[in-house]
Amino acid sequence: MVRSYIVDKLAPRIQGDGGWVEFISMEGSEITLVFRGECSKCAILDRCTDWIAQKIKNDLGLEVRIKAVRRKPFFWDS
Amino acid sequence: MAHVKVVRRSMRPEEWTLLRFSWLKRGIYADMEEITEITIRDARQISENEYEFTDGPERPLRRGDLYFTPDGTAFIRMKAHIPERMKGKNLCLQLKTAAEMIVRINGRYAGGIDPNRERIPLDFYKDCDELDIEIEAYNRSKPDDERNPESLNIRGCRQVFNGAFLCLTRDNLQSLIYDCVLLTDIAQSEYFDENLRSFLFIELSHALDLVDFDNWEGVDAAAEYIRRHIYENTDYKGSGNVALVGHSHLDIAYYWRRIHAVQKNARTILIQLRLMDRYPEFRYTHTQAYTYETLEKYYPEIFEELKQKVAEGRFEPVGAMYVEPDCNVPSAESLIRQFLYGQLFFRRAFGRTIDNAWLPDVFGNSSIMPQILKKSCVDYFVSNKMSTWNDTNRFPHNNFIWKGLDGSTVYACVPPTHFITWNMPSQIQENWEAYQDKDSGGATLSMYGYGDGGSGVTEEMMEMIRRFPHVSAMPKCEVTGGADFLHKNLGNNPNLAVWDGELYLEMHRGTFTTKSDIKKANRLLEFMFRDAEIACALRHPDGTGYPADEIRSAYKKLLLNQFHDILPGSHIHPVYEDAMADYRQIEKTLNGILGEKADSPYFNSLNFSRSVPVFYPSPEGTFERHGVRGSFAHVDAQGLAAGRVMDSDDSTSWLTVSSDGKTLRITTPLYRAELHPDGSFVSLYDEKLHRQWVREGHGFNKVHLYGDYPGMYDAWDILPNYRDVEYPFIVSSPLSLSVMDGLCAEFETTLQTELSSWKMRIRFFRDFPGIEIEHIADWHEKHRLCKVNFAPDVLTREVVCDTSAGFIRREWTKNTSWQTARFEVCHHKWFDLSETGAGLAVINEGKYGLGLEEEEVSLSLLRATIRPDIESDMGHHDFCVMIVPHEGDAVSAGINRKSLEYNIPMHRTGLSFPEPLRSVLCSSSLVLQSFKLSEDGRSFILRLCEQDGRRGQIVFPFRVKLLNMLEDSVAEGNAFPFRPFEILTFGMPLS
Repeated sequence: MVRSYIVDKLAPRIQGDGGWVEFISMEGSEITLVFRGECSKCAILDRCTDWIAQKIKNDLGLEVRIKAVRRKPFFWDS
Repeated sequence: MAHVKVVRRSMRPEEWTLLRFSWLKRGIYADMEEITEITIRDARQISENEYEFTDGPERPLRRGDLYFTPDGTAFIRMKAHIPERMKGKNLCLQLKTAAEMIVRINGRYAGGIDPNRERIPLDFYKDCDELDIEIEAYNRSKPDDERNPESLNIRGCRQVFNGAFLCLTRDNLQSLIYDCVLLTDIAQSEYFDENLRSFLFIELSHALDLVDFDNWEGVDAAAEYIRRHIYENTDYKGSGNVALVGHSHLDIAYYWRRIHAVQKNARTILIQLRLMDRYPEFRYTHTQAYTYETLEKYYPEIFEELKQKVAEGRFEPVGAMYVEPDCNVPSAESLIRQFLYGQLFFRRAFGRTIDNAWLPDVFGNSSIMPQILKKSCVDYFVSNKMSTWNDTNRFPHNNFIWKGLDGSTVYACVPPTHFITWNMPSQIQENWEAYQDKDSGGATLSMYGYGDGGSGVTEEMMEMIRRFPHVSAMPKCEVTGGADFLHKNLGNNPNLAVWDGELYLEMHRGTFTTKSDIKKANRLLEFMFRDAEIACALRHPDGTGYPADEIRSAYKKLLLNQFHDILPGSHIHPVYEDAMADYRQIEKTLNGILGEKADSPYFNSLNFSRSVPVFYPSPEGTFERHGVRGSFAHVDAQGLAAGRVMDSDDSTSWLTVSSDGKTLRITTPLYRAELHPDGSFVSLYDEKLHRQWVREGHGFNKVHLYGDYPGMYDAWDILPNYRDVEYPFIVSSPLSLSVMDGLCAEFETTLQTELSSWKMRIRFFRDFPGIEIEHIADWHEKHRLCKVNFAPDVLTREVVCDTSAGFIRREWTKNTSWQTARFEVCHHKWFDLSETGAGLAVINEGKYGLGLEEEEVSLSLLRATIRPDIESDMGHHDFCVMIVPHEGDAVSAGINRKSLEYNIPMHRTGLSFPEPLRSVLCSSSLVLQSFKLSEDGRSFILRLCEQDGRRGQIVFPFRVKLLNMLEDSVAEGNAFPFRPFEILTFGMPLS
């Protein structure tokens, strides 16, 4: 349920800003997401992960924590 | 000798001046009143000006709150009560944001706020007590910002609201700040004289000494000091003649979807209109008829104001085209329609025909352009990239004459610097210094205004312009319009140099290949439009019932998707999804218009007989092509007449196949071929021409997988070193005969990488020399470029490439840096390598990138880029190419005609062309490019294209009108000579 919610509902919105999110796993209340594209170098990604957690709470009724894994492309990797 | 590195720890005088300059900005606002009655509602745009409200109901918005959501639009409402102390004064609305906002106040469009401007003057509302402020805001800033790159780190999807304020500004301090912006820019620029820079720092320091940074006393004295000591000092002489043209480049889609460009455009235009209220000298240029159309549709109030400013000559439509399309991949007919629909809009809306093409950001320009420009009433051409983005050679001209494939010429300007500048003296001086036609070209063009996502000119840029005359070291600057600049400096200028041929951009070579699906669909639909229009013209000979609006609307959608960040593939994933959805919709529309019926005869819409075997769907067919079961057959199809699929016998005796365990030997009546298990040829011996086509020991039809790491411009570029690292394809299923019948024998091999599979079906025909290769890829690579290489045993130093309106010859030798830089070029339906007497062509159905190495060419098949789209080109692909060995050269072998056959299938429409027009067209060497109802509905338009490079004459048995590409009458008669590569448009009466 959480996976499809992220893939179908939230990922297209994040793609709309040049970002990219992939669902990796959910263990207990911790959801691990990989962020690519513009998200991978976003200095304020934590605000976005808070929004994701908030959306999941509002729409799915689940209290979750988001673990964000950034995957920068090589040309942004310093 | 001992060396001690001295580290200066104390502040330099120059740094002290710059620091105090930055302090000045703290004092801009003399009084601020926070607006506290604010609500916000989050939404997501789902189509043009249509929203879904996804993030809850309207809620209060307070300073410190987070606002905006990913891909979000926020509707913000404020109620502001103007305090007594501010009434009657020059108020501003101040709001610092990384978002882009269209602001309406008390029902009137008041202006725009975005990262480049934080306040809107409220002079218009001076006498109001209350302000009802409505803001349509979206958070899709462009991902690069030349002026403030560091600001991008905090331009995420979620922003902190910093409050909104009514403000009174210290106008004298703001003016002093602009003085300092101007002068510190010069003082820090290496483009200006060292003594001048030193002088400026000293005098600016003296001026700032007069300012009290606590109470802002002394500001007027500092300004006066600058006037007397700097502006009135004329010891430092500048030179140069620079035309300043206000402009904002607007990508219709890029890091945003095209539905979002509607707001970006409206905001940009609104900002310029409000700036015109305050700066009477301000003139602004804006391109793309499509953007005007959306403004007229969704923001009629702003559009009416814009029309007024157009009439006054201050807002200048430029560009003539429907959008700023890619100018490599679209066909000639597409480019013509870009001008036709663009110019018709400008004529309807503003009563004018635009005489310039304005394409600052496109990735090179095909040599077919000058003729199309000229015949679309466009005498001038502007495009920036070749001057500043070429990676190898410096493009030698800025103001010049551009000669195209057919010899047509237009006046061309490739400005010396970028199309986005913020009008700083250093940028203007840089432009002048880079300008290469100082002696012949008149003034140089410098565009000013923020762009890519729109935005445009700022108050600061206008204030710079007002100060330029006071700086003797500056070049002479003239604020002008785009057309005025071109007319004055290029028009009838006898001294301009001539550049003959394409304007190849030595960069962004990957855009011929990235997003394979989009290019394939574009090609397919370009020809579907051709056939749909022909079908409609034949069905509705008096024009009645011709679905002109339906076709026009669909055509405009195709043209929209030819925008130079859509068709080239340089965009985020949702843009790709939008484009593919558009293509599906267009195809559905055109299929409906074509109205094929299973029991109707085929119609050959080409004005010559067909010779290439066709594939026709049939559930009982032996073969599968593009996922459809069917059979190959010869056709009896005269030009512009009904066609018939011919029966073939089922005999398989024409083929022999043997294997030595290493290679497969195939013998047909035409060839003796030997192939590796991976489908590449060891040998292809031509039994008719008694010659070998494969250079011994070299790859021929060899699929290569290269590392493809261009860096930041991932979707755009292919680097010259791409061949340095090659990854192996493993043969998982070696080449073997899969199916055959009396006409065709199909061999299949499957290649594999860890992530992808690549199936190749090779089809030999019994009595047709073409060899078709179908590539079926399940593609999941990253940073890979897949090419198929051809190293033929042909002695030539040039590759002949189709342009869609004739061919050009490209050298594949590497003698010069110009040749070397063109290691990856654009071609259309075919390329050919010929020596005297014979040659070999490769025809494709939607590939454009062609690698040129000495004595070897490679057709670029797929890329796997990750920026801007992580998933670019991933998934299933299925495309065909056909290798066509031939006698004679490409022209005598009719390669172009074969390529048209290959790309234009016959449709079951049961139509045929009326006589005597059919006979005229079929006896001509000209290619029937288009046959349609005229845009005014009063005649039929017949467009013919000379594509073999020969001269001739076409004679009609009745009088017709010769038209330009805008369908205006040019001449009348029944016999018309034509030149090599000429495109001719005729108007003929209905019925």
